[in-house]
Amino acid sequence: MSDPIAFAAMRSLLAARPSRPPRSGGAIATGVAGIDAALGGGLPRGRVTELISAAAGSGGELVFASLLAGTRQARMRVALVDAADGFAPKSFRPDLLRHLLWVRARSLAEAMACADVLVRDGNYGVLVLDVRGIPARALRQQPNGIWHRLRLAAEQHPAAVLVQSSAAVVRSAPWRLVLREPAALAALRRPRAERAAALAPELERGQGGGIEARMA
Amino acid sequence: MNYAALWIPGFAAAAAARDLDPRGRDPVRAGSADLGAEVEAQRMLAAAAFALSPRVEITAPDCCTVDLQGADPARAEAEMRRQARELPRLGLPVRIGAGDTPLLARYAARRAEPVLIVRESAEFLRDLPLDFAEPDAAQRGILLAWGIRTLGELAALPKSGVGERLGPAGAALWDRAHGESPRVLRLTEPARTFGAAWNYEPPVESIEPLLFKLRRYAERVALELRSAGWVAEALALTLLLEDETDYRREFRLAEPGADVASWLRVMQTHLETVRLAERVAGVRLVATPARPGQSQEGLFDTSLVDPAAFWENLARLAALVGEGRVGTPSWVDSHAPDAFVLEEPAAAVPPAEAAPLHPPRGGVLRRFRPAWPVRVICEGGQPMALSGALQGDIRARAGPRVLEGDWWRPREQWAVETWEVELATGGLYQLSRDSAGWWIEGTLD
Repeated sequence: MSDPIAFAAMRSLLAARPSRPPRSGGAIATGVAGIDAALGGGLPRGRVTELISAAAGSGGELVFASLLAGTRQARMRVALVDAADGFAPKSFRPDLLRHLLWVRARSLAEAMACADVLVRDGNYGVLVLDVRGIPARALRQQPNGIWHRLRLAAEQHPAAVLVQSSAAVVRSAPWRLVLREPAALAALRRPRAERAAALAPELERGQGGGIEARMA
Repeated sequence: MNYAALWIPGFAAAAAARDLDPRGRDPVRAGSADLGAEVEAQRMLAAAAFALSPRVEITAPDCCTVDLQGADPARAEAEMRRQARELPRLGLPVRIGAGDTPLLARYAARRAEPVLIVRESAEFLRDLPLDFAEPDAAQRGILLAWGIRTLGELAALPKSGVGERLGPAGAALWDRAHGESPRVLRLTEPARTFGAAWNYEPPVESIEPLLFKLRRYAERVALELRSAGWVAEALALTLLLEDETDYRREFRLAEPGADVASWLRVMQTHLETVRLAERVAGVRLVATPARPGQSQEGLFDTSLVDPAAFWENLARLAALVGEGRVGTPSWVDSHAPDAFVLEEPAAAVPPAEAAPLHPPRGGVLRRFRPAWPVRVICEGGQPMALSGALQGDIRARAGPRVLEGDWWRPREQWAVETWEVELATGGLYQLSRDSAGWWIEGTLD
């Protein structure tokens, strides 16, 4: 049988060690000024950021388009786990898709299992888990431990994890931003980059300052 | 073969045996109380399980269950056989079984020598002794009196009859005789830090017991690193001395790796030169993890950091979501609104093309697959209001944009008109109309 005192001693020794493996720090810019400014530079590597699109047309897909453009320039791989199978490739120039891995899940459970695999892969700069379109009830029925597991896995790997949702689902996300206002139809005539630059997300969770300062 | 179970027969004895110095000169018990022995054995077992899949449950101190769904069966089997060879070399006998349910996998592990994969569940269960289903003493007595001695004989009885006579516990026993059904595993997390710490009671003054324990713990740390896809680039060794001071030394490895023999060579060479005034009461070993080949980042930063993981995970994803549902999307030569193919991702991301002369405009569509049917009220040929899956007045609209194709093939020709609409209550949507009616194709950003 294990001695509880020795177990406590071991725990304290373990606690004295680095809390996680070293990983590439810093952030990955989304190209959306409002988001990058709110997050202190972009999506933090090794962390989960939740972006809520509260209304249809509020800009979540525009953010993804901007992220795809930025990461394409950097030749950084992006994985999209699409829980509701809503991604529309024809909305993007073919060249913007060449660094993208798209996983067309058939259920939320499949999407979570795929995200669990990809977050540990190490070859992707960004993992996007898109649960928009999944009924709120199904999302609520997910055990909270699943998101906790995703967060823990993210902390051990260099990818930035972005969860796109319609309402808050990742209770343990250190950063949460909300896009509330749907755009007007007339705005679609403007260049996408210009519209992305005008997005003004609310920082619902997270503190001001740089990423590194907040990680400390 | 959806699940695997890794089981250590005679767990406590096996764990303790692994922790004894076989030379008998210094029976180094795992420091204080065998925190070492059993916890170490369990951590080794878990590390071996994580080599099979990231979805691992610690089912019991002597057993880990692994969710293999999505894994390539041939590769999973090869890895199981490798672990079954590797762990005994590290002093831990292990049996590995695989089957369609967690319980079947566990049964198989108990029958394995050292690996058993159950492909025909009914046939496998038929001759298993009744005790595999763990009946309590009363159930066992009754069933033996009925002449039931194997799981096959129990499973042949009607469940309702067993339930009537033995109660709900009897029905549960009947389920276990059938190998139960798949269940959700209580997943555990892989090691987040890579290290070990142990104490000596009494403190030691020679190098042999130090090296013996160092090897044992280093083997576990290396196994955890390998299972997580890491190697060590540095080792930090701390000797906790009897007078409560400590001696620390960090070893930068010339070549990052997870090979225990090379770690020990480096540490032993150094320890043999160390003279300490006090005896050693405890040791702490911490490995600094790094990705294999990470040092080449920057030079080949658009290639794969870990090609093995990349292609293996692609196969796993394809098995999870189905072939043809994972890949890099690419346009096809068609004007059809949702025409694309998924291709195998490139091994290296090519340089980006020059930015288009005219910046892209228009909405970014997020599709509803399948599209939602909707009723549209039109005035003057223009959509004015929606009812059905989505309801409300339309405040603004743009369209129609008419697309058609394959008109030269009478059976395959298609035509669709699309509209972009803004609802009075807010929200941008894309509507389409074809010969079957109106549809909401998705939202627009």
